[in-house]
Amino acid sequence: MLQTVLEPGTAENAASVRETYLAAYRYMVLARLLDDKFAALWRSGRIHGGVFLGRGQEALSAATGVCLKKGDVFAPLIRDAAGRLAFGETVLDAARTYLGSVRGPMRGRDGNVHRGKPQEGYLPMISHLGAMISVVNGILFARRFKKISGVVGAASVGDGATSTGAFHEALNQAAVEKLPLVLIIANNHYAYSTPTSRQFACHDLADKAAGYGVEVDSVDGTDLNACLETIGRAVARARAGRGPQMVVAELLRLCGHGEHDPADYVDPKLKSSPIGRDCLKVAEEFLLRQKWLDAVQLGVMRGEIVHEIEAAIAQVQREPAPDPFVEEWRALATRHLGETHEDDGN
Amino acid sequence: MPQIPIIMPQLGESIAEANIIGFLVKPGDTVEAGQDLIEVETNKANMTVTSPCGGRIEKLTAQLNESYAVGATLGRIETTEAEAARLGLDVSPPTKPGDTDRVAKGSGNGNRNRVQPTVRGLPVPANAAGASYLSPRLKARMTELGLSAADLAGVAGSGAAGRVTVEDFEKFIAHLEKQKMSQASTMRVTVADAMRRSWTRPIAHVGMPVCLDPLFAYRKIVKPKPGPALCALRALAVALAENSAPAGRLVGNKIVHPSSIDIAFAVEAEEGVLVPVLRNADKRRLKDLIAPYNELVELARERKLPPDATGGSIATVTNFGTFGLEWATPIPLPEQTLVLGMGAARHAPNWDSVKGQFVPIMEANLTLSFDHRVIDGGAAGRLLQHVADLMSKPEKL
Amino acid sequence: MKTTGTEISYLDAIREAQAHALRDDPRVFIYGQDVGVFGGAHKATKNLAKEFPGRVLDSPISEDAIMGLAVGAAIEGMRPIVEMQFADFSTVGFNQIVNQAATLFWRTNLPCPITVRLPFGGTSGSGPFHSQCMETVYAHYPGLIVLTPATVEDAYSMLLEAVAIDDPVIFCEHKFLYYHLKAEKLPSEALPVGKARIAREGRDMTIVTYSAMVHEALEAAKELAPEGWEVEVVDLRSVKPMDTDTVMASVARTGRLLCVGEAWPWGGVTAEIIARVTSEGYGLLDAPPQRLNAKDTPVPFHPNLWAAHRPTARAIAAAARKLLRL
Repeated sequence: MLQTVLEPGTAENAASVRETYLAAYRYMVLARLLDDKFAALWRSGRIHGGVFLGRGQEALSAATGVCLKKGDVFAPLIRDAAGRLAFGETVLDAARTYLGSVRGPMRGRDGNVHRGKPQEGYLPMISHLGAMISVVNGILFARRFKKISGVVGAASVGDGATSTGAFHEALNQAAVEKLPLVLIIANNHYAYSTPTSRQFACHDLADKAAGYGVEVDSVDGTDLNACLETIGRAVARARAGRGPQMVVAELLRLCGHGEHDPADYVDPKLKSSPIGRDCLKVAEEFLLRQKWLDAVQLGVMRGEIVHEIEAAIAQVQREPAPDPFVEEWRALATRHLGETHEDDGN
Repeated sequence: MPQIPIIMPQLGESIAEANIIGFLVKPGDTVEAGQDLIEVETNKANMTVTSPCGGRIEKLTAQLNESYAVGATLGRIETTEAEAARLGLDVSPPTKPGDTDRVAKGSGNGNRNRVQPTVRGLPVPANAAGASYLSPRLKARMTELGLSAADLAGVAGSGAAGRVTVEDFEKFIAHLEKQKMSQASTMRVTVADAMRRSWTRPIAHVGMPVCLDPLFAYRKIVKPKPGPALCALRALAVALAENSAPAGRLVGNKIVHPSSIDIAFAVEAEEGVLVPVLRNADKRRLKDLIAPYNELVELARERKLPPDATGGSIATVTNFGTFGLEWATPIPLPEQTLVLGMGAARHAPNWDSVKGQFVPIMEANLTLSFDHRVIDGGAAGRLLQHVADLMSKPEKL
Repeated sequence: MKTTGTEISYLDAIREAQAHALRDDPRVFIYGQDVGVFGGAHKATKNLAKEFPGRVLDSPISEDAIMGLAVGAAIEGMRPIVEMQFADFSTVGFNQIVNQAATLFWRTNLPCPITVRLPFGGTSGSGPFHSQCMETVYAHYPGLIVLTPATVEDAYSMLLEAVAIDDPVIFCEHKFLYYHLKAEKLPSEALPVGKARIAREGRDMTIVTYSAMVHEALEAAKELAPEGWEVEVVDLRSVKPMDTDTVMASVARTGRLLCVGEAWPWGGVTAEIIARVTSEGYGLLDAPPQRLNAKDTPVPFHPNLWAAHRPTARAIAAAARKLLRL
C-alpha cells in the first residue's frame, strides 16, 4: 500500500504526483491482468461459482485505494480489484479466495469478491448492496469514541446500490453523525441489466447529496488523473472533519455483471461515447505523452505483472481446499454456548 | 339512577399501574363527559383520568399517593338513564377476558376440524389410547425388565380408553415386589415363552374314548412290555406316514410337509416338561421302540438328554393319564400342529350289542389338540379314529 | 396494587444492568431511537444519558444503519448495546443482524460482541406490530445467541452476561413483564446463560416454556394442584443455546411433555423442543408430546381477541389436563 498521501496543494510537487500516478497505474494493470486471469480460469472450469470483474473501473478504484492511508477503513465492492490491491491486498489472497484455498482470508467460507480482513480495516462485503456503508460508519464512530482522529472510511458502491434502503439509512446516519465517510459512487450506468433510467429519477446522482446535507464532487471515472485529484480532495476534506463526502464517477462497465453475463443490453451509443473509454488505455496514453514511461518500460512492467500473477496462481492451485471433516463447524466465538446436533461432524 | 365507574385507563405501552397525585373534583360535584377528574403519575409521564360521562361525582374511592392497576375502579359517577344510554354505558360490561370458565374455542390443541391425514389410504391410528396401546416409555421399561404384553394381562389401565400408563405399570411392579416371590427357573421362563407363542394360534380339541383291552392282552404275552402312550405314539406315526398333511405347518399360504415322521413325547422333569424325540417312528416296530423310549425317559428325568434327542419333531404325545387325569386340553408346541393326549385308564361299562348288555372294559380318553388353521375338526377326528383303530391291533404296530 | 419503595421491576433490572455495564466497561455504549435524554420509549435507559454522557446516543429511524453501525463498532473493539424500539421493527434491520453480524465470526474469525435488545411479546391493545415474538426467526440463524429472561433476576444477570459474551446476542425482553413483574432485590449470582431453570418441581408432567409464558404456566400449575396433579415447569431462559439436558431430565422424571410458547405455531421454540425430545428421548415419553402456541394469525388489537390469541394460564391448564388424562 502506498504510504504517501495526496494532500491538497501538493499538486505542484511533481515528483510525488508522478510517483502516485505510476503506482496507481501499476495497480490498474495488475487488476486488469488478474481479472483476465480469473476470467480465463473460470472459462476453463477452474473456478467454482461466479467471477465478477472490475474492467472499466480500475482508474476510480485504484485512485481510491491509493488516496487512503494505513489506518483508514475501506469497504470495497464488486469491481474494486484495483482498489483492494492498492489498499494492501495481496494477489495471493485474491487468488486464494477465488480458487477456494483454505489458506485464504475467508478460508473457503466465502468466495470471489466477498473477501477482506476486518481487523485491518479492509471490510469483506456481504451481497446486500448498500449494507457495508453503515459498517464503515460504525468503525469511524468507534474510532471517534476512542478519541482516534484523522481517520477516513471509504465505501464503494455502484449506481444500483443508491436505490437501497441501506444506502439511504447509512448516508443519512453518516451525515447526522458527521462521520469522515467518503462514499465513492461508480455510476457505470447499469445495475446488472438495469439501466439508470430505471434506477433513479433525479437528473444526476450527485443531486442526492444535497438531500443528505453532504458535499459532493463529480468526476470522469475513465481519467486516472481526475480520479486521483477528486478523490484526494474528498478524502482530505473528510479527514479535516467536514463530514461525509460523496464522489460520483461516470464510467461504463466494460464486462458483464459477472462473467456469466454477455451484457448485450448495454447501449452501443454509450460504448462509443467518452464514458465508454477504457481507463487503462487512457492512462497508458497519458503516461506515454508525459514521457513518464516509454513503450518498452510498459512492456516490461506488464511482463513482470504477468509473471507475478502466474506464480501466485500456480502457488495457490497447489494449496489445499477446506476439509469438511477437519473444519470446525462453529458459528459462535463462544465455544461453550454452541449447540451440537447428531448430524454434526463435531 | 345508573352508577358509572371511573376506571384507571391504559396509560401507555406495558404500563401496569399509576399513582394518584391529585383530585380535581370532589364528591357531589357536577361534571361533564371528558372533564379531567384525577391526576395520576406513571413511570413515563403525568396524565389525567377523565370522566366517562356527564353527571354527579357520587364517590371517589381512590386514595392520594396510592397506586392502582389499569382497569381498577377509582370512583363512581351518578348519571341519568338518558345520559347513560347516549354514551352506550347502559349495557352491562362483558366479563373480563380470562374470567370465564369456558375456555376460548379452538384454544390449546383441541381443533378437530382438521382433514384426517392418511397413510397409503389407511387412516392414521388414533392417539395414545386403548387397552393395547403401549407408549414408548412403557415399552422401554418392559424391555428393561424382560416383560412382554402378556405379563400386563392383569394390570388395570388408568389411561385413556383403559391404556396401561407407565405409572400403572410401576405401581403394578411395586405391588408385585411386596408379594412373596420366588425365582422362576430358566426352564420355566423358556416354557412360558413357548406357550405364549403357541397360543397365538387358534387351538381346538377333539377327543374320544379308546378301548385298551387289546393292548393289555398283548402286554401279557410280550416282553418287554410297551406302555399305552408308546403304543399311541407308534399308532400316530403309522397314521401320519400314510397321510402327513395333518402334521404339516402353515407358513403364509403354504403347508410345509414333514420330511420324516419324528414324534416327541412329554416327560415331566423338575420345573418343566422335556420332549425327547423318537426318530422315524414309522419305520420301527413297536417292540423296537420300547428300549429307546425307556432310555430317553431316563435321560430326560436326569436332565441328561443329548442335543440331538430333542427338536425337529412333527408331533408330540403326552400321557396326562399318569397324573390321574381323564381328560385335558394340551397345547401343541409352537412349531407343531398336533399334540396327542392319553388320559388315565379306567374301568368303564361298554355296550356289547352281541350280548345285549354292558360289559366292563378298560378305557382311556384319547385327545387331539390341533392348530385349527391347518386342519379342521373332521380331519382331526378321522386321524384320531385311525389312531384308535391302530391301537386295537397292537400286534400289528 | 400497591408498590413498596424497595421493589425492583423487570424494567428497572434492565436499566440497572445497562448502568452496570456502562460503568464497568468503557467499550460499552447504547445506541437506538429515543434512548438518550428521553430515556427510551419504554424508559429502559431512563437517566443513563445523564449519568454516562456521550455513551447513550440517539439514532435516526434507521434499523438497518443502526445494526450496521453496531457491527462496525464491534469490529473496532467496542461492545455496543442496541435498543430496537420494538422487536417488530427489527425486521428492518434483519439483514444486518443475520447476514452481517451473525456471519462475521464464521467468515472472518473476528468475533462480533454486540447486544441487540428487543422489547418483544404482547401487551393488551398493542396490536400486530408492537407485540411480535421474534426469537424463533433469530434462533434459526447460526451465529446468534437468543436469550429470553422470564424473571427480574434473569433480566439483570442475563443482560450483563449478554454484554460480556463475544457473540451477537438477541436479548428478548418481554414488554408485559416490564412493569408487571417485580422482585425484592437484584441477584448477586445467577445461573449462566445456556442453563434452564426448574421454576416449579413436579411429578406428573413437564411444561417447558420461556419468558412471560413461564408465569402463565406457573398459574396453570397452581390451578391443577388441588386436582391432585403436580406439574413441573421448566424455564428455558435461553432459547439458543437451549438446555436440552435439563428438559430431557425433566421428561425422564414425568413422562409427559407440554411445550408452551407465545410465538406462532409453525416451527418455533415449541417445535424445536419436541423435535429434540422425540428424537433423543423417545423412550422417555408415556404420551405424545404436545404444544400450545399463539393462534396462527397476526396479533390482534382488541383485548378480547388478544386474550384468546395467546396461551393463558387457563388454556395451559386445559391443555395440561388433556395430556394428563391421556
